[in-house]
Amino acid sequence: MKKLIEFYGIDPERLSLKWVSSAEGPRFAKVITEFVDKIREIGPSPLRPKVLMEAVSVEKAS
Amino acid sequence: MIEQVKEHVKGLLASGKIAGFLGLRNDAGVVTPFLFKQEEQLDSSFSLGETESQGTMRYPMAKLALHLIQNCDDDSTYGVLVRGCDERALNELKRWNQLGNPDRIVQVGVACTLGLAEEHECRKPFPDEFVAGEKVDPQTNNSVQQVLAKDLDSRLAFWSAEFDRCIKCYGCRNICPVCFCNVCTLEEDALIKTGNIPPENPMFHLTRAVHMAGRCIDCNLCTEACPAEIPLRTLYKRVAEIIADEFSYVTGATGEGKSPLNILGSDPGHTAAND
Ligand code: SF4
Ligand code: SF4
Repeated sequence: MKKLIEFYGIDPERLSLKWVSSAEGPRFAKVITEFVDKIREIGPSPLRPKVLMEAVSVEKAS
Repeated sequence: MIEQVKEHVKGLLASGKIAGFLGLRNDAGVVTPFLFKQEEQLDSSFSLGETESQGTMRYPMAKLALHLIQNCDDDSTYGVLVRGCDERALNELKRWNQLGNPDRIVQVGVACTLGLAEEHECRKPFPDEFVAGEKVDPQTNNSVQQVLAKDLDSRLAFWSAEFDRCIKCYGCRNICPVCFCNVCTLEEDALIKTGNIPPENPMFHLTRAVHMAGRCIDCNLCTEACPAEIPLRTLYKRVAEIIADEFSYVTGATGEGKSPLNILGSDPGHTAAND
């Protein structure tokens, strides 16, 4: 999945796939908190409509 | 070339080996798939798909064969016209347990001309065995490398501009010889919002791409069919490369085997690369 979204032009670090069993509450909290921190650091998604539309219009113009 | 195929099929029909032959017919210039049951029908309209104005017409013969096998009332055996891509598709359908008894399909192979192989940049323009045509060199398609040469932002802009043109006709899915599911994720409102054109992106196209992992046999039919001329194959080719790297699985090969994404239970030999 990471390699696919990278090919599409999305930073693969924006995706995380982890197996967490329903019996692993603390691990779940840790995994989510870490990922949220990471995403905050990377910043807003390039897929937000406004950002994306600008990129698309530049691509179409070129 | 066409005469050799006709004679071969007539032999199969006459000997009772096959109950019918799934091929193509030219009806007043229009080429469509057709189930030939009598020798005379072959004489009057059998075609290899060549048309004057549009080049060679191709159809997903493997998918049609699958529908034929699934929907006919008896357990007869049928002959099917196969090019290299059709054979790869049949092989892949077998590996996904779709064909039931594979002996019910008798392949009648034709090797493609160099022109057709070049047009579709075909990786194997001939089936393992064929009754007509000559082996021409496999061709390569470099579109994946062209996208990989771009940086992340330009890739996103490129794909977004391409998929922005999608009119969600489902042509890519409908023509695809290895799209065999009875219920399609692409039509599930809960997963991909329905009623929008272009469809929700990148969800729509990445979903289809993921479903083509370990399946797409690179026939180029989807790209050829797409009215918006979206280079779909490039995306699925990249997916195939990823599957080959991760699982050493090549789609469409002849012989025993199973797609790594069609294995339930024990680990197919892949570790947590996505962690
Ligand atoms: S064939 Fe082209 S336009 Fe139609 S749904 Fe597929 S990508 Fe979209
Ligand atoms: S090239 Fe397109 S139509 Fe052919 S198998 Fe792959 S996804 Fe399906």
